[in-house]
Amino acid sequence: MTLLLEQLLNGLQFGVMLFLMAAGLTLVFGIMGLINLAHGSLYMIGAYASAWATQQTGSFLVGLGAGLAAAAVLGMALEAAILRRLYARDHLDQVLATFGVILFSNEAVAMIFGRQPLMAGPPPWLSGSVEIVPGVPYPVYRLAIIATGLAVAGGLYLLIAHTRIGMLVRAGATHRELVGALGVRIGLLFTAVFGLGALLAGLAGALTGPLLAVQVGMGERILITTFVVIVIGGLGSVRGALAGALLVGMVDTLSRAYLPTTLRAVLPASDADALGAGLSSMAIFILMAVVLLWRPRGLFPAHG
Amino acid sequence: MSALLEVRGLCKRFGGLVATDALDLDVRAGEIHALIGPNGAGKTTAIAQIAGEQRPDAGTIRLAGQDITTLPVSARVRAGMTRSFQITQVLMQATALANVALVEQVRQGHSFRFWRDAGRDTGLAGPALAVLERVGLAPRAPVVAADLSHGERRQLELAMALATHPRLLLLDEPMAGLGSIECAAMTVLLQSLKGEVAILLVEHDMDAVFALADRITVLQNGAAIASGSPAAIRADAAVRDAYLGTP
Amino acid sequence: MGESPRQIVVLAAAFALMVALPAIASAMARPDFVTLGSQIAIMAIAVASLDLLMGRTGLPSFGHAAWLGLGGYTVGILAFHQADLPWFVTQAWFAWPMAILVPAALAAGIGALCLRTSGISFIMITLAFAQMFFFLFIALKAYGGDDGLSMRRRNALPGIAPRDDVAFYYVCLAALVLVLFLLRRIAASRFGAVLDGIRQNERRMMAIGLSPYPYKLAAFVMSAAIAGLAGALHVNLFRFASPDLLHWTMSGELMVMVVLGGLGSLWGAVFGAAAMVLLHSLLAQWTEHWQIVLGPILVAVVLLARRGLWGALGGPKGGQ
Repeated sequence: MTLLLEQLLNGLQFGVMLFLMAAGLTLVFGIMGLINLAHGSLYMIGAYASAWATQQTGSFLVGLGAGLAAAAVLGMALEAAILRRLYARDHLDQVLATFGVILFSNEAVAMIFGRQPLMAGPPPWLSGSVEIVPGVPYPVYRLAIIATGLAVAGGLYLLIAHTRIGMLVRAGATHRELVGALGVRIGLLFTAVFGLGALLAGLAGALTGPLLAVQVGMGERILITTFVVIVIGGLGSVRGALAGALLVGMVDTLSRAYLPTTLRAVLPASDADALGAGLSSMAIFILMAVVLLWRPRGLFPAHG
Repeated sequence: MSALLEVRGLCKRFGGLVATDALDLDVRAGEIHALIGPNGAGKTTAIAQIAGEQRPDAGTIRLAGQDITTLPVSARVRAGMTRSFQITQVLMQATALANVALVEQVRQGHSFRFWRDAGRDTGLAGPALAVLERVGLAPRAPVVAADLSHGERRQLELAMALATHPRLLLLDEPMAGLGSIECAAMTVLLQSLKGEVAILLVEHDMDAVFALADRITVLQNGAAIASGSPAAIRADAAVRDAYLGTP
Repeated sequence: MGESPRQIVVLAAAFALMVALPAIASAMARPDFVTLGSQIAIMAIAVASLDLLMGRTGLPSFGHAAWLGLGGYTVGILAFHQADLPWFVTQAWFAWPMAILVPAALAAGIGALCLRTSGISFIMITLAFAQMFFFLFIALKAYGGDDGLSMRRRNALPGIAPRDDVAFYYVCLAALVLVLFLLRRIAASRFGAVLDGIRQNERRMMAIGLSPYPYKLAAFVMSAAIAGLAGALHVNLFRFASPDLLHWTMSGELMVMVVLGGLGSLWGAVFGAAAMVLLHSLLAQWTEHWQIVLGPILVAVVLLARRGLWGALGGPKGGQ
């Protein structure tokens, strides 16, 4: 029972992180029609910048800021230099070009930081555990991530539903030409949206870094999961991104937690673990296939 | 005697906007029935529903007695109803002949053939050329569609629709963008089809409409406000109000 | 198909070069050229199969490496179990058709699912399925998992010694020629005409009475089958199967090779494959971080070279 509660919270934490990634990616797709595979690279940049700055200054908050700044700045530079030229292109061209960006940035990071993973734990003032329910200790840091993620989700909701910018975002997601016709500086809106997405990705990377190994290739792993999230949720829909993220986060975490142990009943330990790990990795893709069978456009497709 | 096409109670809303309002429409075999109305009257939406690209919220569509309301576009074509597009949708990278030959191929139904060269198949090229001659495009058969003039592409568009051997043609603004000579030629061509194929014609060009139509239905705000012979429509007060002075 | 004179000359020269390659290699005392040649031929088969799907039918699949891997692992797993199976499982005449059938059968089921979506969802769902298979093979420790699966000997071919690299190279070349010939006939057939129509304007195809779905599915299965053959040849070449063969970057590189060669051009598949394999080997000799060069090259190709190598050869309007 306590294990279940812990795993549910882990699933929530993973889901919240996925939402940070998915929100940016789905907005960029919905508004600019851009498939950006390099989104994972921004996550990686956020993680690396944050880990490095934390090591240099000893302050987690400075590291966090560095991660956000690096992701936002490099993201907007990427947008201006390359991605801007891809808005008018078909999705295949976008996939290929951003794939090239991934290859480049992975090698660049490997050249700067080497291929060994950077390990850095959570800051002292966020480490340790707290009893959320008597007898169930849970890491403070993960609770902090959940809280931050939910706060960002709330903030995004307020931004999109209750501000003028948000209205433009919603309109742009369904009627791109209309927004241009309203006299809004489209280029500026696009850059702002992209910057926001990059910021969120960097935040996700900076927050998750202390939990996982910060290494080259971390971006691709989360990128694919993020795409599964937005396909399940519905392309261009932030609400769908939240639903999809929580769903995927739960399914992935719970299957990883329980599948290997379930298999140990019928297989020798190391085989069970390997097969369990493999099957859990497959779980979210099976989920996506089932959702698409039922709702080909995702759970909450953006209209238009 | 029931009509070839029977539309009853067709309704379509987009959010708060009523695009089609309980529309009833009949097209008799062999007749040319024109659908007219001011801009925004809902003609395009009506055609889209009859053709099968949009699902109506309510109502039925029957072709020769068969209920086709929920059939997909390709099934409706096989049932005998073909539409042509207002913005030509020909295959730009293929020749005019290849375009029509492909239609003939689909009509014949044997497309899971992997070995023989389709480009040299006289069983396809022959009938295709015949259709092109019908619309007057035979001399331009070997020309790639992207190199055809706009008027020629409209002819090709019509040829492709005819090559499906339909009982009912849905023509969506076949005169769009044509000069006066081309318009006259197209009108003569459509006249020649009368009696062979029933036609539901959406058009803005009133000369063509009154020259061709056996019956006219006028649409406004998604509903039919008048329906009858061209003379009756010309005299109808409601129609005059809708168009504000169009003859 | 309308190749321009320049394209025909280049094609003939390329073919002559490939036939003469082993002789050139031995004259220059570079046996690795033969291996490189085999790699190019095998990749060209895989790229041509993807071109049928992407270039001809207009379906961009980001999971094509899965079929490569499944074909390769079929061969590898059959060899792994040969002690418990009939003698013929390591014979090429059995193993290679199996390497074609297994991906084809799976593609029939998976394609039926994926083709319910279109556009970017299709790209993503094909990626997802490939990832599934990737993780599956990593999880199967019995077949090497992460470390991959070795094959002691190549599949037996009549009259060819298992370690005869030159003979194997000619087998790969023959397979390539056969595949290109078949694909060319398919492209010119009624089926090919339908695929091309679907690519150009699916809405129009429906409007003339065609349901695109069965044809797209057939193309999907065919391209998987041919990729399976490439996978079998690949594993035979290196006597090694690894999950890396199914990695999504492999799918990405296959897409790159198709575009590099020229989308829809069939012959371009050979040039795209050759360019990529040669680039890989040249760059790798130069620096460990060769991907840092490949990345920008890719971006440049997409932004600038729209018709690919084959199209550029064709001149202003280009052949097809």
